[in-house]
Amino acid sequence: MKRGSQRPALTLGAWARAHWLPILTGILYLGALLYAPQRALRALTSGGTLLLSVALIIVAVIGLIGLLQVWISKDAVARLLGTDSGWMALLLSAFCGMILIGPPYLIFPLLQAIRKAGARWAVITTVLSTYAVKLQMIPLESSFLGWRFSLARSLLTVALAIPLGLLIEALMEKTPGTAGKSE
Amino acid sequence: MTKLGLIYLLLIGAIYLVCWRKSPDKTVSSLRTGATALVKLLPLLLAIFALVGLLQEFVPQTLIEEQLGATGGWHSVLIGGGLGAIAMGPPVAAFPLAGSLLNAGALPAAVAAFIVAWVSVGLISLPFEITIFGVRYALLRNGLTFLTALLIGWLIGMVI
Repeated sequence: MKRGSQRPALTLGAWARAHWLPILTGILYLGALLYAPQRALRALTSGGTLLLSVALIIVAVIGLIGLLQVWISKDAVARLLGTDSGWMALLLSAFCGMILIGPPYLIFPLLQAIRKAGARWAVITTVLSTYAVKLQMIPLESSFLGWRFSLARSLLTVALAIPLGLLIEALMEKTPGTAGKSE
Repeated sequence: MTKLGLIYLLLIGAIYLVCWRKSPDKTVSSLRTGATALVKLLPLLLAIFALVGLLQEFVPQTLIEEQLGATGGWHSVLIGGGLGAIAMGPPVAAFPLAGSLLNAGALPAAVAAFIVAWVSVGLISLPFEITIFGVRYALLRNGLTFLTALLIGWLIGMVI
């Protein structure tokens, strides 16, 4: 389960874990083809049509991901969040979480570095909460779920992120013996 | 939808032009980063949309309405959040799935809980989070974030 210790030498298990969704889909389609070939083809067609209808938006989002990743320095973010400890840091971490991109196995180590640089638990938690907002994905989200839904979900997630961060920080520091930095 | 996509594409294109004037090098590397991300995401995207097709064709609408629909109330929100917490993947994948659930009659509250839990609660990545931040933090964060996901779902159900 430890993905961090994964070596480049790929075992079959690691490969299967990394691609569990395509593999699962393939197996399901195989079953569907045997069970009802025509319906399986219809499913494939309707999925393909849906993909084509949002293909342009996906390309645009990918373009935005490239921009954000190159133009926003992760080191600068870590420095900023690690040293400040007041309200500004919390607001800043809410914002950073929104534009942070990358799978969890990249985000967790980044936040660990920020934590070691001196960031509060509230900052770490706030980033992980607003990480669910995905500013760059809102066009895609709203095309599937509607503007009202997408906007409401994003605003609520941001609004609850800092309170949740402070709550978890308070719980972490309740018993000083077990709390603190885990190295 | 295609028109909307074109507008976004033009918008991003304009930003790229501005960036190009500031630093051609960084802009090229942005394009390259985007292309790499797309190649990495492609198998997953294909799988997800294929899965959505399968869902629409084979999963009876009545089942989704029963488990995630309006009559379920809290039960639906809990199921939505639970599904999101177990499944884990990039948000690009969550939106088409969520959209098809919504179209099939799922409660907006349940769908919202599903998305928030999908992105920020990870049962699959929990062991990794534990090794990085310790058991106490990982359990606290995932547990309370799950409750927050349900709360967000419930609030959205009131707004929408």
